[in-house]
Amino acid sequence: MILHINYLPQERRAAASDLMAALFPLLEDEAIDPPLLATLHVHLDWIQYRANFREPVTVRRAADDRGETIPLAELAVDLRQAAPASLRDDLARALASLRAIEGELDDHLVVEDFTPLSRSMIWRFNRLFWQRLADWERHTGRGFEAALPSGRSDANDQRAVVDAVAEFWTLLVDLDKRGQLPPEIFALEIGVGSGTRAALWLDRFKALDQERSTGYYPRLRFLLADYSLPTLDRAMGTVGAHQEAVSTIAMDALNPLRALSFLRYKILYIHLTNVYDNLPADELVRRDGRLYLVEARAYLPRPVARRLAESYGLSPPELRAAVARLVEVGPDLFGDRDRGVAFWREVWDGLRLEERLRRLAGIADAPLPPGLDQHHLEDLLATAPEDVRFHISGGAAESFVNTVPLLHPRGYLQVQDIFVATMDEYRHGFRGPGKLDGSVVNWVNGALLRAVGARAGYDVHFAPFHYRPGSRTTILYTTQRD
Amino acid sequence: MRGPLLPTAGVGSYSMPGWLERAKNDYLLRRITAHDLEEMHDAAVKAAIKDQEIAGVDIVSDGELRRDNMIDYFAMRLPGVEIDHASKKFYYDYYESVVRARMPMAPLGLAEDFRFLRRFTERRTKLSITGPHSLVKRIRNEYYPSEETFAIEIARVMNLELRELVRAGAEEIQIDEPYYSGFPEDLPWGIRAINALVDGADARVSLHICYGNRYGKPSWEGSYRYLFPAILDARVHQLTLEFARRGGDDLQLFKEFPAPFTLGLGVIDVKSHDTETPAVVAERIRRALAILPPERLAINPDCGLLHLPREVAFAKLGAMVEGARIVRRELQG
Repeated sequence: MILHINYLPQERRAAASDLMAALFPLLEDEAIDPPLLATLHVHLDWIQYRANFREPVTVRRAADDRGETIPLAELAVDLRQAAPASLRDDLARALASLRAIEGELDDHLVVEDFTPLSRSMIWRFNRLFWQRLADWERHTGRGFEAALPSGRSDANDQRAVVDAVAEFWTLLVDLDKRGQLPPEIFALEIGVGSGTRAALWLDRFKALDQERSTGYYPRLRFLLADYSLPTLDRAMGTVGAHQEAVSTIAMDALNPLRALSFLRYKILYIHLTNVYDNLPADELVRRDGRLYLVEARAYLPRPVARRLAESYGLSPPELRAAVARLVEVGPDLFGDRDRGVAFWREVWDGLRLEERLRRLAGIADAPLPPGLDQHHLEDLLATAPEDVRFHISGGAAESFVNTVPLLHPRGYLQVQDIFVATMDEYRHGFRGPGKLDGSVVNWVNGALLRAVGARAGYDVHFAPFHYRPGSRTTILYTTQRD
Repeated sequence: MRGPLLPTAGVGSYSMPGWLERAKNDYLLRRITAHDLEEMHDAAVKAAIKDQEIAGVDIVSDGELRRDNMIDYFAMRLPGVEIDHASKKFYYDYYESVVRARMPMAPLGLAEDFRFLRRFTERRTKLSITGPHSLVKRIRNEYYPSEETFAIEIARVMNLELRELVRAGAEEIQIDEPYYSGFPEDLPWGIRAINALVDGADARVSLHICYGNRYGKPSWEGSYRYLFPAILDARVHQLTLEFARRGGDDLQLFKEFPAPFTLGLGVIDVKSHDTETPAVVAERIRRALAILPPERLAINPDCGLLHLPREVAFAKLGAMVEGARIVRRELQG
């Protein structure tokens, strides 16, 4: 057995000790096969997002590239969720499931088949959330930003916005001095949230322009882009005082170039906040030198499924069908929207992910995003811990490579998000995904974006967001690669 | 200009195969030998020549596939330039290079590249070299009193190489100067350096000026207006510019400033993976024909095809050739 203590907060040290005391006799009681025991990895994790897709104790089996179960397993404990009173039972149940033949566990109502994480149903829930945000918020009685761990978005930090405008201003002045400032000054915000950041940014930009009499504001073309029309409408309302300078555009953050190809090499400033953490990603695991793709299937724990079935008068197969229909048609599935939203919230709240590790025949089989090939992955792995689980942030990488061609040769991209800046940081445990209100939130592999950026002609840098103590936000920014 | 009306050519580089990129990186890390890399270079160059021939290009290059980038290939060969070989791990990056003393005269060995090209094609050929202005912007100067004197000195050394190329049979030589567009204030001495470079070299010389293609994206934006009228003093036979991606507005400059040279008209956007149709290419040529007579036009992509996948690069060359043929037929009845 291999023990990974990935993160151990001071106040949970006793719990970890209890866990070990409970685990060892159980391993004997459950008569784990010696070959499996030898390769059993036990992980003690601490998941940042209290709401997530894990149960306190979970197991992961491994399969070879043909799908045959192989003697490799993981037992993962979320120390944040693990309750001392039920820990022994949770561990016993998990270990017992290791002996189960591949199939549906008795205590799970599975709602999809195993699939790479990036294709899991959770991303359809995520999309539904942004498309039907107003319904969700009406039902919860609060705006989505209130669900953030700090209760507000770092995007809207006044001092950060002032600094961002000042930096942009420096660029404009420099271009102006060289006679290279384009007649129209394009700026783009992708993922607009409530529109508060855009409004703050525009207020500051206009004030600076008036203060310095530079005449830049009338030349500004500020684009608000989002794939959610309700979000765009709301943001446009927030920037009402700047309507002359602002346009909205509905587009998928995965491919801004498709919608904005007419602005290729023209945009001087592109900003995103908490978009990359909300795009589909896969995860790879390296154990004993072999690579495994994390496959997942969404399920409802049996007690949750029972409660939902009773509340909504559904049999288990009908419940499974209702979940599938929910992500297809949204909360109108019962013909009663309030009831539909209530169902949606309860399902989402209960939804968990069962995982398994699928061994890859070779590195060339890894699901790699545009802009990255297996040789880059080899380079990344060369800087990673031997045993590591890490993100292939495919959505973020795809968005990145489809955004940077919009940049003017002197333009730059800024992204505020939660990044794992180096592969070595994955040493510190499980990184997600988690739930943020009705959406998915996931750490983004910054090292991978650095490799993708280099390939696209940009150096990618990371700076801590120092405007709010304790913030986990990092600012990614690009510079032209010489 | 001999050959067909509206002759077609590449600007220089051809699509860099992924396997060759990896081999170049492996060589930097000393995982493969120089001999193995040279064999791969030879194979890649032969394939690039063949692709251009099959696409129907009239004037063929070696695809510049032996080069890591447009600077290092020359910096490593220029006598007196010191290279820090530990300064890069990715082949496309630039070496740290410096000049600390007067550059001696010595050959660069480009004639060998030309002879290899000549051996594998019967078509007209073109060899491109990076111009003194661009080299000055990348090689650190710790000896010469000014960028201009450094550039003139590079021109003096490389002039010897041009003459060697002519002796080896080179008839068409292209000089690449993308950095003009980033430093338009340097143009007067940049042109003096070009004239020193080509002095006495009995070949058809084209001067290629673009807005950069590093990593397949522009390094600068603006208008070619900055070139005029100073560029009219350049003693070259052709000016090769990009017009596909940037549009044809700057063609008017050739009406405003009658030039003594032909125009190498960029009709292929090398920064887009979308392949132009021959009809689009033909329309771009017709747009130029409204300003210049056909004898004063040559047809080429905006810049090198280095960053495009091979199948896209090949398709674009084919569209360029077919577009030129369409217009040729129209002109010749």
